[in-house]
Amino acid sequence: MRGLIGELVRKDDDDRDIIVDMEAGLEHLSRGTGRNLSRFVATIEPYYRSMEVAKRVAALAAELGISEVLAVANKVRDAGDRKAITEFCAAHSLKLAGEIPYDPSLLEAERAGKTPIDFNPNGPAVKAIEELAATLSGPVS
Amino acid sequence: MRVAIAGKGGTGKTTISGTLARVLARQGRQVLAIDADTTPNLAVTLGVPPERAQSMMDLPRNMMERQTQEDGTVKTVFTANTDEIISGYSAPGPDGIRLLVMGKVNHGGAG
Repeated sequence: MRGLIGELVRKDDDDRDIIVDMEAGLEHLSRGTGRNLSRFVATIEPYYRSMEVAKRVAALAAELGISEVLAVANKVRDAGDRKAITEFCAAHSLKLAGEIPYDPSLLEAERAGKTPIDFNPNGPAVKAIEELAATLSGPVS
Repeated sequence: MRVAIAGKGGTGKTTISGTLARVLARQGRQVLAIDADTTPNLAVTLGVPPERAQSMMDLPRNMMERQTQEDGTVKTVFTANTDEIISGYSAPGPDGIRLLVMGKVNHGGAG
């Protein structure tokens, strides 16, 4: 069934942006899944288990023939977090596509039953995701 | 862009996917968001009302067919029309986004 994503995402479909929210563990990924996706983005938090999963995502995506695997740091609170993620990415040759700061308004949004962009469109997390969108819209290197 | 977002549960995978989709849609892009998680909740971060997400039709079971090849091997072939699937089985969201939920596919059949 995972191969379906590969079928639904067409390579010639340039009029449309397609964002796939993958399963947390990638155990069910098949070769067909990533066939027509141009990029895989692994979300990383600055702690060991999250980085281990990101490493596995990167390895699997490479196996699936995805042309580019990028990392996005999330919930970054300080210089220590930034350093941990930068070092991890360098050690595993992962390109860092963006950094999203820890933003307490995301939790407030959830409590209010609203989406982050509707709750606080100018908040630091949403602003960082706008930058990420610009980076991801660029050409695949 | 055609991107997949993955990562450990709780690292903000769905928040980033949903917000990224909304950002692109607000820039005037046509956006298809696909929820491929087995516990789908992308609808929430996209802002698709829960009742609308609930009322989405399950993807049809007959999109893939097992066909026996000349050499005797069995291959799973996609037989549905992509545009029909997207227009018929996705839910509309804010800023013109379409949401397709894969987790609703019956898990019998091809794996």
